Amino acid sequence: MKIYKVIFIRTLVCIGLLMSLAFITLNNKLFFNYPEYWPAPNYDFKKLSMSNEEFQLGRELFYDPILSKNESISCASCHNQATGFTHVDHDLSHGIEGRIGNRNSMSLVNLAWNTSFMWDGGVNHIELQALAPITNKNEMDETLENVVEKLKKSKKYKNLFSKVYSDGEITGQKTLLAITQFVVMLNSYNSKYDKYVRNEKGGEYTYQEKNGLEIFRKHCNICHTEPLFTNNNFENNGLKVDSTLNDHGRYLITNNPKDSLKFKVPSLRNIQFTKPYMHDGRFETLQQVITHYTTDIQNSTTLSNNLRKKIKLTDEEKVDLIVFLRTLTDTEFLFDKRFKYPFNKIN
Amino acid sequence: MIQDIKSKCGIFNCLIILNLIFITSVSSQEKKDFELVFVSNFNQNPIEKNKWYISKNNDSIQLSTIKFYLTNFRIKNKNSSILLENQYHLVDVLNDKNLNLYIPNIHFNNGAYLVFDLGVDEKLNTSGANSGDLDPINGMFWSWQSGYINFKIEGISPSCNTRKNKFQFHIGGYQIPYETLRTISFKLDSNKNKLVVNLEFSNFFNKINLKTENHIMTPGKDANTLMNQLVNIFNENL
Repeated sequence: MKIYKVIFIRTLVCIGLLMSLAFITLNNKLFFNYPEYWPAPNYDFKKLSMSNEEFQLGRELFYDPILSKNESISCASCHNQATGFTHVDHDLSHGIEGRIGNRNSMSLVNLAWNTSFMWDGGVNHIELQALAPITNKNEMDETLENVVEKLKKSKKYKNLFSKVYSDGEITGQKTLLAITQFVVMLNSYNSKYDKYVRNEKGGEYTYQEKNGLEIFRKHCNICHTEPLFTNNNFENNGLKVDSTLNDHGRYLITNNPKDSLKFKVPSLRNIQFTKPYMHDGRFETLQQVITHYTTDIQNSTTLSNNLRKKIKLTDEEKVDLIVFLRTLTDTEFLFDKRFKYPFNKIN
Repeated sequence: MIQDIKSKCGIFNCLIILNLIFITSVSSQEKKDFELVFVSNFNQNPIEKNKWYISKNNDSIQLSTIKFYLTNFRIKNKNSSILLENQYHLVDVLNDKNLNLYIPNIHFNNGAYLVFDLGVDEKLNTSGANSGDLDPINGMFWSWQSGYINFKIEGISPSCNTRKNKFQFHIGGYQIPYETLRTISFKLDSNKNKLVVNLEFSNFFNKINLKTENHIMTPGKDANTLMNQLVNIFNENL
């Protein structure tokens, strides 16, 4: 009998230990959260561990200037959390040694639903996106090969990579995947608009906001489609060509004249803070943006069909539309501690 | 009861016969280790770094980089095509990488073909960050317009009116109509376990004029035309 008791207790202890282990591993797993009424993400997550370790490694890389040639700028230099992960107050992004790029940095939000990346859609996969700013002469001007060499020399990164991969080897693929693991988690779905849609506390719309949403659904939603506020397409939105940049957008990628002057339809989430606006950051305020869409559309062969008919709004309607756009601000996202600069070094 | 035993014996006999058929079929499918060797030449002179070669168009040429992807190796018999393991190789001619490829444990009949692709297929061009020879770290991936460079060939020639007389061909593109993947095949001899492929680079440089064609770095019509000429460097060394 005694022996049975001992075995029984031991078994219980073992089960207890196993369960606590299971709990820890569960705790280290990331949950990719989004509202159930959203479409399924476009990204398949197959190559990611979805572990906290990989997320923290990616977070360190995202905030580390080691990715740039002279170790002066990081991803966060142009993608600041407080402004929806974009570069506030800069029409064109700048890189190392003050070099100026030719486009406005895009905000990083809900990236798993993107079907392409960059204003011209030249990057076809989220895992490869970081390669573009790393290697661009006017941004980080570095090579992936050299980044990996630098990481291999770093004690901190050797340690961080070995937490994710048992072989501890640092490769270009693993570096890109870690960055992906961080940026793919930057999901925003708790704005006042989202709470309004879900009928939640904090989502009580004023008359103005409701009216603004109606105007939005009538005139803007066809391209900036809810709930992600983009249809992932490329459109010519009737901007006058800036002769100093002469940027023809999507055409540079496809060489198809039908794509001339078309750019990616950007998400409008957190738009209150992502100024300036447009691919070249030409507009400082939302008022200017709405003035463009209502009075300044330039006609051309590739102009979006959705803009061929003039959008007419009264002054009140314009104000209501802007009031609605401000409800796309998700402060939980903009101040989420998980996405902040990693002050607590995890060496 | 007796009937039962008989029927069991029948099943056993059948099994034995099936076994025999299986064994004989296996023994007739002798598997062997196969070697694929690439030898690089220019007008039958071995390719070396910092050595001058002359094309039919009187272009003097020095080569500094020759890299290309070989993928999707398969054995094609009359009615079947068997995909082999170790599918992706980045061949680096001037640094002597992957010039000898070993294909272990394969079987082929006389007259079968060894088939492979020059370049990386669309699936791998759209599947994100890959590892090994396909890791973007190898400098064979375009960052501003996602896609593998299927063939990179660089060097200098006095015919090139460019900075430091450089010519640079980065040939790639996976989207129709500018798809640059090409399929290459060689007939196999079942008595041999080695195939030597002669890469004759004069076949490429004799067809182009470096004065006017010296710089292609994007997918498109020109890249397609050049890839059609690059296929011609692959010749069996008989």
